[in-house]
Amino acid sequence: MSDHKKLFIDYSQCIGCETCEAVCRFVNDLPRLHMTRTRDGVMLPVYCQHCEEPHCARACPRGAIVRDREGAVILQPMLCRGCETRQCIMGCLHSAIFETDQGVMVTKCDLCAPRRALGLPPACVAMCPTGAIRFVSAEEAEAAQTEASREARRRLEEHIRPALGPAGGKEGGRKSRG
Amino acid sequence: MSECMDFGFLCNDPAPPNGRKVAIIGAGPSGLAAAGYLACLGYQVDVYDKLPRAGGLMAFGIPSHRIPQARVDEGIKRLKRKLGVNFHLRTKICCSVPLYEEEGDHFSADMRGLGDLVAGHDAVMICSGSWRSRKLNVPGEDLPGVYSSLQFLFPIRAVRYGAPNVSVPTVAGKRVAVVGAGHSAVDAAHSAVALGAAEVHVLYRRTSAEAPCGRFEIERMQDMGIRWHELVSPVAITGQGQVEAIELTQCHLGEPDATGRRCPLPDVSERLVLPVDVVIGAIGEIPTPPFSRELGLDNVRKGEVRWLHMTRIENVFVAGDALTGPSKIGKAVYSGLRAARSLTNWLDLKAQNRQAEYKYDDLIAKEARGFPGPPLHKEPGS
Repeated sequence: MSDHKKLFIDYSQCIGCETCEAVCRFVNDLPRLHMTRTRDGVMLPVYCQHCEEPHCARACPRGAIVRDREGAVILQPMLCRGCETRQCIMGCLHSAIFETDQGVMVTKCDLCAPRRALGLPPACVAMCPTGAIRFVSAEEAEAAQTEASREARRRLEEHIRPALGPAGGKEGGRKSRG
Repeated sequence: MSECMDFGFLCNDPAPPNGRKVAIIGAGPSGLAAAGYLACLGYQVDVYDKLPRAGGLMAFGIPSHRIPQARVDEGIKRLKRKLGVNFHLRTKICCSVPLYEEEGDHFSADMRGLGDLVAGHDAVMICSGSWRSRKLNVPGEDLPGVYSSLQFLFPIRAVRYGAPNVSVPTVAGKRVAVVGAGHSAVDAAHSAVALGAAEVHVLYRRTSAEAPCGRFEIERMQDMGIRWHELVSPVAITGQGQVEAIELTQCHLGEPDATGRRCPLPDVSERLVLPVDVVIGAIGEIPTPPFSRELGLDNVRKGEVRWLHMTRIENVFVAGDALTGPSKIGKAVYSGLRAARSLTNWLDLKAQNRQAEYKYDDLIAKEARGFPGPPLHKEPGS
């Protein structure tokens, strides 16, 4: 498991230029990683972390989300029935499964499976102007973290999960639950 | 993993030469992405740029603490060595306007006509970006000490290439006002601090909630000691032979305008005077493609075209900020890739003399609908 690679984005190096989303869109027709603008006006990509224990896979009633040979958590459209309950989307802690208007209406990152088959890295990794996106093992991702990257990541997490963030836990959390 | 910004990211090795030659004008994100795409397909690609180094605003506009220069340079090296792309730097493709009119023209040693390129290549792609700054349109704008964000940022990175008339503006010990709240305003303010300015003020006509750079960047500027002034709009720059002050009028926010943001309305009676020595107008740029009228670029923008991204001149395509106006690296890259794909599809159809089979109102409009951004093509029946 340990040599399985996944994406790590150092948000402290990200300049919000949208190149990752643009090349993902070009390669996959619909992007599988999305820019979000936090309430503070910072543009950052939200992306699949290919979790060790993916909630999306557990939530899927069809078992359409599985781990492939190289460790990527992938959605198999042939098994997905596009259910309206969208449990995979709601189960994802990282807001990294996306609703679309095509096919099974759901899409997610597969770490560019067709490119990996040709020995190419995911497109977003190859084209990031700053080198903020890396294709690394879980240990390398852990080692690559810095105080600045953790701080920047916390800002995004407070935005996508206001109830869980340290700042949002007091006021924002209650507010968001009404 | 990958140590370069890999413009040829679509392939490991290029396809065998297909015998076609394409010229790309402009070595910024859109031009380089298009070059990578076409080189992967086996095209012979010639890239022309007016500057001494490829990379466009990634190399000359955006400060190097945001984009590591080495990463862009490695990507360009890979284009050259692995994909056989030819770079013709310091070469301006001219020109319906006099040289030295835009930032960066000073470096051009060679001028070629667009007509020569069209004659010598199967197709030409114009990715020349937006290099002319929007003016503040206030009295006193021509005083020494007034810069646009590009005039201010460009020499900081370009000065080491040694061209006459290119020197870093001196702001050490001076009071600097930056007008605008986009990313180039932030970069100009950061650079002014780095160059030792005594005071840096950022002036914006709306509030931090509407600022394109976002509240986080504003707070970061404030942490650096930069003064943020919102709801102010410049009405005049004053001084005797040199900037001495900027006059501002207070604004309040009215109803949302076409962009969905509440528009600033000046309160004419409320005037403020801010004493400063340098004014940097960072309120956007204007596209500067050569032969805009001859190419019918307005028609391309409106979608009155025969083929996606193709201009009025057959086999001449356009992409990136030259077409859309200033945007972001990602949008420019996407536009370059899409135009490159359109270019190859067009040449393939033409080689079989089958252009007539496809009218823009079916296949092209269908493709255009699938893409974000302003429509490049008229919808059928509109």
